[in-house]
Amino acid sequence: MTLASALKTGDLTQLPSRRDEDWRWTDLRGLIRAVPPASPPVDGEVAAGPFDGLAADEILFVNGRQRHAAAGDAGDVVALRFVSATEGAAHAAAYAIVVEPDTTLVLLESHEGRAGGYFSDVTLDIAVGEGARVERIVLVDDHAEAIDVVTAEVDLAPGATFNQTVLTTGARRQRVETRINHPGAHAKVRLDGVYILENQRHADQTTVVTHGGVDGITSQLTKGVVDDQARGVFQGRIVVQPGADQTDARMGHHALILSDKAEVDAKPELLIFADDVACAHGNTIGALDDQQIFYARQRGIPEVEAKAMLTQAFLGEVVERIEHDGAREIAAAWVAARLGRAE
Amino acid sequence: MAAVKQTIETVAALEKYEHGFTTDIEQEFAPKGLSEDIVRFISAKKDEPQWMLDWRLDAYRRWLELEEPTWAKVDFPKIDYQDSYYYAAPSTKAGPKSLDEVDPEILAVYEKLGIPLKEQAVLAGVEGAPRYAVDAVFDSVSVVTTFKKELAAVGVIFCSMSEAIREHPELVRQYLGSVVPTSDNYYACLNSAVFSDGSFVYIPPGVRCPMELSTYFRINAKDSGQFERTLIIADKGAYCSYLEGCTAPMRDENQLHAAVVELVLLDDAEIKYSTVQNWYPGDPETGKGGIYNFVTKRADCRGDRSKVSWTQVETGSAITWKYPSCVLRGEGSSGEFYSIAVTNGHQQADTGTKMIHLGANTRSRIVAKGISAGKSTSTYRGLVSAHPKAKGARNFTQCDSLLIGKTCAAHTVPYIEARNGHSVFEHEATTTRLSDDQLFYCQQRGLSQEEAVALLVNGFVKDVLQQLPMEFAVEAQKLVAISLEGSVG
Repeated sequence: MTLASALKTGDLTQLPSRRDEDWRWTDLRGLIRAVPPASPPVDGEVAAGPFDGLAADEILFVNGRQRHAAAGDAGDVVALRFVSATEGAAHAAAYAIVVEPDTTLVLLESHEGRAGGYFSDVTLDIAVGEGARVERIVLVDDHAEAIDVVTAEVDLAPGATFNQTVLTTGARRQRVETRINHPGAHAKVRLDGVYILENQRHADQTTVVTHGGVDGITSQLTKGVVDDQARGVFQGRIVVQPGADQTDARMGHHALILSDKAEVDAKPELLIFADDVACAHGNTIGALDDQQIFYARQRGIPEVEAKAMLTQAFLGEVVERIEHDGAREIAAAWVAARLGRAE
Repeated sequence: MAAVKQTIETVAALEKYEHGFTTDIEQEFAPKGLSEDIVRFISAKKDEPQWMLDWRLDAYRRWLELEEPTWAKVDFPKIDYQDSYYYAAPSTKAGPKSLDEVDPEILAVYEKLGIPLKEQAVLAGVEGAPRYAVDAVFDSVSVVTTFKKELAAVGVIFCSMSEAIREHPELVRQYLGSVVPTSDNYYACLNSAVFSDGSFVYIPPGVRCPMELSTYFRINAKDSGQFERTLIIADKGAYCSYLEGCTAPMRDENQLHAAVVELVLLDDAEIKYSTVQNWYPGDPETGKGGIYNFVTKRADCRGDRSKVSWTQVETGSAITWKYPSCVLRGEGSSGEFYSIAVTNGHQQADTGTKMIHLGANTRSRIVAKGISAGKSTSTYRGLVSAHPKAKGARNFTQCDSLLIGKTCAAHTVPYIEARNGHSVFEHEATTTRLSDDQLFYCQQRGLSQEEAVALLVNGFVKDVLQQLPMEFAVEAQKLVAISLEGSVG
């Protein structure tokens, strides 16, 4: 059961809890004790989003209501913005995107918290036509007290390409879930993620890729840094259905824990029902290398800066995989700013 | 080429499931079904003190309130717990005093299985050959334990659980259920209520157990379940290596085996626990019959620098549900888990381990190899967790799955929970199939397809086989070969 439906019906017992296997590290039921009021409509200007200037047109949602739709001939770079503007109020939004065959779309998605403690649920349906290419960059900038769930269901046609990078700083409870129906048939998926968490923030990046046919490629790389009492969650599941031979699926998750009170929970799953496949996952969790810090300090770089530098390099590997130049620059600057380093 | 030749010979010499025979001996049963009266019956049969009966009854009442777990990737019809015998024992007058008094039929069974029960027989072997003491458990009772005297001379207690309850109640009371609490899980709780026998080992401080200890479990009776309980205590600085083997007859019904194994390690102690599990896997064509192997195994490294090593070769059982775990409490303690799980036919295995790092500088290592063939499913499920106090904890996990054929499945479900900034966790997993190139190469050199598969598979699991004691390694290698017979082509 989703956050949106629980908010709608007011039945909080429908919220996912630790007893649900897929939500064991992201408990909503224990957190949301009272039904929050619905967010009011908001008029007036909304400040520019993080991808301002890159996109020819934008689709804007404020408090779950669509304020602006892209024109039909918006071009192949579109900003998709979800703004939460009212403290303590709840809203849900759903949006569907159809990408025509053999076209290209760069989707610059941002979740912008402009108030404290809101509840937001966003559901996206993305259908990618045959031979089409989509790159989805998701920047999630939530308020520390917010509860935010973003779910995307992606259907790929044969030969389609879907590349995604999610960058988050967490919230009180936050989950970005991507479910991909992968037809095989030379379709390609890249699913990346970055999380940078401090204080008591929580971020959950969950992905499910279901390979249904032969010749599919999936490449996943998620990296995260957690400090203070923050908690990072990564759940990646790759399913290879019977007959989906020649699937090549690789998943990597690497996290740095910078404090003894921080926590990282990971569950990289492979469920394989076909034999002619090459599937692998790697997962590492650890601290920054003391020797590298020592080396930097020896060269006169203060410890704080050395740590930030190493962390930035660590996360940089994911950011560099973003293909769209403008989006990559913005993502790199965003990461640097979160680590206290100017680009 | 010697190894290749040996593999070929073993494959040729093996039938599908060579331990599937049954033995007709006079047995006595408790009435079918499960109730408080049955628990009382088992306890009375074993002449147990009141505290033991109370413990069992408490477990039984808790079990009634528990629910059967459903999270594992195994699929089986609901078990009717009332349709099974919870106690089946070969009839004997009093407990046999020596081997001569044991029913010759039973001795014949063990001879057929190749388990040396006669101390002389072992001694008469080649000089310098490794010896090992055996506790033989037949259905619900332990029929014989060898080398007890020699072990007692160095202070090692090795006996059946029922004997331990009678002779060493203080040790049993102190440690029983301290690693796997009564209501830990559904099957462990059931076991606590109805366990009938098993092995008990106590190694006193500073003693290195002079020989391998082993238990051989045999299910014989129809419609019966086997619920054994093993407790091994390694006191400060003690060491022992323990082997466990098991087989069962081929039957069309499913039989339940729900065991609990508890290991306690104090400072500087070390236990090496090896299992070769070869329960009847059910009919490979129809999937009928076979053992449900629902086992709870856990080691508690209470002492500093203690070390436990689990090695398992799982080739049998219709369903395996088993997660040998290590609770690394003592500072600098370490846990290892080496596993080979081979599934063929309609077998389903959901197995793995838990490494729970509680103490500082604890280390763990997991190497799990899963091989699936036929219509089988093999799942690695494991948890590695580090407590905030477990600074300097380290884990390395490697899970590899090999798929043979189009209709099998292999899953990897690891859970990693890191709660401090001074630990390192590494995990890697791969899933592949047998390489066509390598198969072709072997066949080109004159090996048949089946031999080539056996050779490649043995190479795939080598890391784990090397961890097994010598005599087990040979048996395990053969087992892996038989289990995969007929899986290609």
